[in-house]
Amino acid sequence: MAGDDGDPRVKANDSRLIAIDGVSAAAIRDAARRLASSTRRRRGGVSSWGASGIFDELGVADADAGTPSMRTLLLLYAADLAFRLRWEIGPALEEGRLVIAAPYVATAVAVGRAAGLDAAWLADLFHFAPPAAEQHLIDSPSAGHSPDHEGFVELACLHAEKHQGGPTRLELMDRTRRHLSASVRRPAAG
Amino acid sequence: MAASSLDQKLRRLARSHFEDRSRRRGLLVAFEGPDGSGKTTQRKLFKTWLEAEGYEVVTTKWNSSDLIRPIIKSRKSIHVLSPLEYSLLHAADFRHRVETEILPALWDGKLVVADRFLFTGLARDAARGLDFDRVLKLYQPLLWPDMVFYFSVSARTARDRIAATRTPKFYEAGQDVTAIDEPTASYERFITRVIREYESLALIFRFITVDGERSIHDQHHEIRRLFREGEQRPWSDWNLDAVVEWLAMTGIRA
Repeated sequence: MAGDDGDPRVKANDSRLIAIDGVSAAAIRDAARRLASSTRRRRGGVSSWGASGIFDELGVADADAGTPSMRTLLLLYAADLAFRLRWEIGPALEEGRLVIAAPYVATAVAVGRAAGLDAAWLADLFHFAPPAAEQHLIDSPSAGHSPDHEGFVELACLHAEKHQGGPTRLELMDRTRRHLSASVRRPAAG
Repeated sequence: MAASSLDQKLRRLARSHFEDRSRRRGLLVAFEGPDGSGKTTQRKLFKTWLEAEGYEVVTTKWNSSDLIRPIIKSRKSIHVLSPLEYSLLHAADFRHRVETEILPALWDGKLVVADRFLFTGLARDAARGLDFDRVLKLYQPLLWPDMVFYFSVSARTARDRIAATRTPKFYEAGQDVTAIDEPTASYERFITRVIREYESLALIFRFITVDGERSIHDQHHEIRRLFREGEQRPWSDWNLDAVVEWLAMTGIRA
């Protein structure tokens, strides 16, 4: 996770967790960079999806290993998030820094809901994640219709499409976008 | 078709499939117990006997999926898993095996023998200090075995049997939570906690307890007898949610 020493005059208890969620990984990443560079707080950096390497290893598994279901992918996302909290987000917050989690919980919950998973199960799955002080939804209407293989939503939707009984990738991405819009408060304009 | 309508259709399909008495229904038998309890020896004997009796048997082992196991193995080897990460990754491995190995075999009328089932995750995670109810929810929708054979041994027996052949591995010995450097000593401490959790699970979920201190021969014949008594149990609606979710994913509609 990229970070800097920040402003030493800021008190150590000035920690803040900001979540940036959305469907497009590229849009989330750009928004996180802009936010990180604009803040005057002690920056702890940006914690991104996949920091644990779990999904890199998943990507090199043999085709014979089978296609993970949405539930399996979300368990893996939770394991990755636990890693991010332990090694990136938690330590930075303890040092009184601002940390941007991009994406955080809302993205995963939205794609799970879009796939029909129970809201209570998803809430339990991510119970360990502290609430963000701010939540930003990065809405990118065109993201679902352009190739974007960097993000969790895209990966999950691609896998879901491989299951015979599942929805198409675009259907699932649109549903995810709707769930996100309904669940995340939009940031104030400007 | 609306989601609720599809759900109802799949529920009817699952019931009619598993309650159809004109064909042999899939059965799920789990072997549980601490390392060193002798369950793997018994599982192998049981499988050999079942096959001789004409059953088509599929075996599934804990932490064995080709997809998730390498991810767990690489992290175990460098001792970087927290109890929460350990728990989540094993739940992911289990879910993947349920969807790709266990439910397809049950649907095809096979007999699935599980060398460890979700109760292993519950016992170990609870022994590591995680909340039992939270861990149980990770495994939802739950798939209950038709029978669970629990191999009961003392912590001392488990330790002696393991120590006679090898040194317990880091996570097997619970060294991530005991803070004991010596693996065998850590194992005895940790397995005491695991056994305590297992004993609770055995009561809650009505395991069939097998005295793992008895001879291999006696245990095997007791398992045969108990299996014969229990194999005619009717299909349980408790497993409907798990089956319906799998049917919806696979596209099986008839």
